[in-house]
Amino acid sequence: MKDTMGIILTRNQEVRLNELTEIRDVSALPFGGRYRLIDFVLSNMVNSGIINVGIATQFNYSSLMDHVGTGKPWDLNRKAYGLFFLPPQVRLDVRGGVSVSGDVDILHGVLTYLHRSRQKYVVVASGNVVCSMTFDAALEAHKASGADITVIYTNLAENDEQLSRSTTYCIDDSGRVKNIYHNQPNPKYTAAGMDMYIIERALLQSLIEEAYAKGSHDFITDILAANMNYYNIYAYRYDGFVSKVDSIRTYYNTSMNMLDTRIRHELFEGSTPIYTKVKDQVPTKYLSNAKVKNSLIADGCVIDGTVENSIIFRGVHIGKDTVVKNSIVMQTTIIQDKCDLENVVIDKECTLRSGKRLIGQPNFPFILPKRTLI
Amino acid sequence: MKKTECVGMILAGGQGSRLGVLTSKVAKPAVPFGGKYRIIDFALSNCSHSGVETIGVLTQYQPLELNTYIGNGNAWDLDRNEGGVYVLPPYQKEDKNEWYKGTANAIYQNIDFIDQYDPEYVLILSGDHIYKMNYAKMIKFHRENNADATIAVIEVPWEEANRFGIMTANQERRITEFAEKPKNPKSNLASMGVYVFSWKSLKKYLVLDEKNPESNNDFGQNVIPEMLAANERLFAYGYAGYWKDVGTIQSLWEANMDLLLDPPAFNLYDSDWKIFSKNPVKPPHYVAEGAELSNCCITEGCDIYGTIRHSIISEGVHVGKDSLVEDSIIFPGVSIGKNTKIKKAIIGTDAIIGDGVVIGDKKADVEEYANKYCSDGISLIAGGIKIGKGIRIAPNSMVRRSIK
Repeated sequence: MKDTMGIILTRNQEVRLNELTEIRDVSALPFGGRYRLIDFVLSNMVNSGIINVGIATQFNYSSLMDHVGTGKPWDLNRKAYGLFFLPPQVRLDVRGGVSVSGDVDILHGVLTYLHRSRQKYVVVASGNVVCSMTFDAALEAHKASGADITVIYTNLAENDEQLSRSTTYCIDDSGRVKNIYHNQPNPKYTAAGMDMYIIERALLQSLIEEAYAKGSHDFITDILAANMNYYNIYAYRYDGFVSKVDSIRTYYNTSMNMLDTRIRHELFEGSTPIYTKVKDQVPTKYLSNAKVKNSLIADGCVIDGTVENSIIFRGVHIGKDTVVKNSIVMQTTIIQDKCDLENVVIDKECTLRSGKRLIGQPNFPFILPKRTLI
Repeated sequence: MKKTECVGMILAGGQGSRLGVLTSKVAKPAVPFGGKYRIIDFALSNCSHSGVETIGVLTQYQPLELNTYIGNGNAWDLDRNEGGVYVLPPYQKEDKNEWYKGTANAIYQNIDFIDQYDPEYVLILSGDHIYKMNYAKMIKFHRENNADATIAVIEVPWEEANRFGIMTANQERRITEFAEKPKNPKSNLASMGVYVFSWKSLKKYLVLDEKNPESNNDFGQNVIPEMLAANERLFAYGYAGYWKDVGTIQSLWEANMDLLLDPPAFNLYDSDWKIFSKNPVKPPHYVAEGAELSNCCITEGCDIYGTIRHSIISEGVHVGKDSLVEDSIIFPGVSIGKNTKIKKAIIGTDAIIGDGVVIGDKKADVEEYANKYCSDGISLIAGGIKIGKGIRIAPNSMVRRSIK
């Protein structure tokens, strides 16, 4: 796939993750014990042989920048191409304020990057989708169908609550997209977009320029849907595990999916590894009072308490007689002795002194923001 | 341009035959340690933290895995524009070609490598010790004493002093006497195999040593005594802290178990002196319902369904349901079946242990796999082999080949 480049869209507007994304872009959200969400799309691109990747960012991108760095963990620290961090093109308006809005502005900001790249095809993908795939088959399908744009989708169950928040496609027998719906309350179709598109670079450039001239803002409604009748849009179905993280609920549920060995092995143990920034942490140490079941635990932890159905990130300490159930505990949080936690998401670097009790609801986990001390 | 003050040379060529099957395919410095490290990570991380950033790793025996592991040194931040880490196997020269005959000869054969950097000092290290040490302090000590050679020493129990190279030093820490494994030690300051030499001085003695046909070309046996006899300025640099030579199966096992003490005898949790290694690209480890863990270290990429007590589990290990791993070290990628018991064993990389196996079974045939290197009840299973269903293996065994 040397003739393909990648653009990762990080976005914040449609995401409802409250405290978790106030301080960071959703694609920089810690996930699965040692990852950030963007690791999946970055690894997918690299595993497809893409060596030219641009990350188009919008807001709060410092933790994202800190995480991806020079792209070394993904082998994207290269002389030819590599990783490009593309901060938003911030424009001053007449009143001296700044404006940045929608994906198209972001894409306009990366037009220069598209211009100086030489690859024929572009994979445009969002930074908050958890899946482990390569784009090879989708690109082959794109070439074979003669599509101008190929959208990658997955079939959701009819009762999947994600459906009403997704872009859904009406697709004919030949695989051509007949209609596109966005955020429908009662969606008719179950083909849900994975926020991944394949398009020729030249076409993408002209579409962005055109949309921009018209003052349009959204990639889906303004570029895809608006051009339905002028261009061939084809759909490519992906059948593996895929989950888009755009709410507390989807974050929590997708995280808990990692406890399913089948899903976990599909994501991490196949021929397409998921790379992330390494921390050189020590192996996790279990002391004599540790009781652990059905949990995912990263390196660098010291555990002397009870952990059940939980995801524990790197460098977390869990004290004696502490019980952590159905929870997500992010990096370097310290939970001292005799604490009781259930259905909580604890952000990075929190400290819970002895004897604290935090109980959330199964469908509404309690969120403890980054660096909270209680 | 910043001048290279000190070049580090890591001796990593030894076979390490006392580690039995663990080193049948890899050099000792590449043997896994502590769940996610290799033995050489300690010397390399120490160098990286001490600002010694030009390093030669002298390899000879089974270098492939070690070479691959070291790569361009990026795991230790040693991929540098100036200097960096270089693997130095013996090479053919204009007039002769030969293997590294001894530790001193290995450096002698690489005089040109060191001369490229024109350093003031050369730091000589072993690739097979577990310790954390700031070499910058030792180099400073060396410089302040205007020494020709500085030898790091550690106090050992008097009764064990006869197993080490023992230094006797005066009040100024100047070495007056050196005895290799003395019967009646005059001091309990043991050489740690960590030397700082002034390069000019060392070069002179290496050339002299090479001309002496009687010499074993060894630092401890030849070069140091030679320098001492010539009344050169040799100093003993005192080190206090954890230091372990992991040259035998027993010491390797003990050093691993030291990590499990609470607090650990050797602290790897020091964020200012992290031990770097090549991190596996693996998800966090999964602990299933029914698993029991106590007093153990577990690394990323493992799936644990059984019971783990007082053991070190390296990356990517699978432990099946109703199995027990106790007092053991499991190397990376090992798969352990169901209802299997492993007691006091070291299981080599990627070995496959079937269902219902018992390793360390006191009722099994003691003679069958007995080996002189395995004692204290520790058993050793070679990497990459398969132990079939229901096989029983006695303590002190060393298993080299698959058993059906």
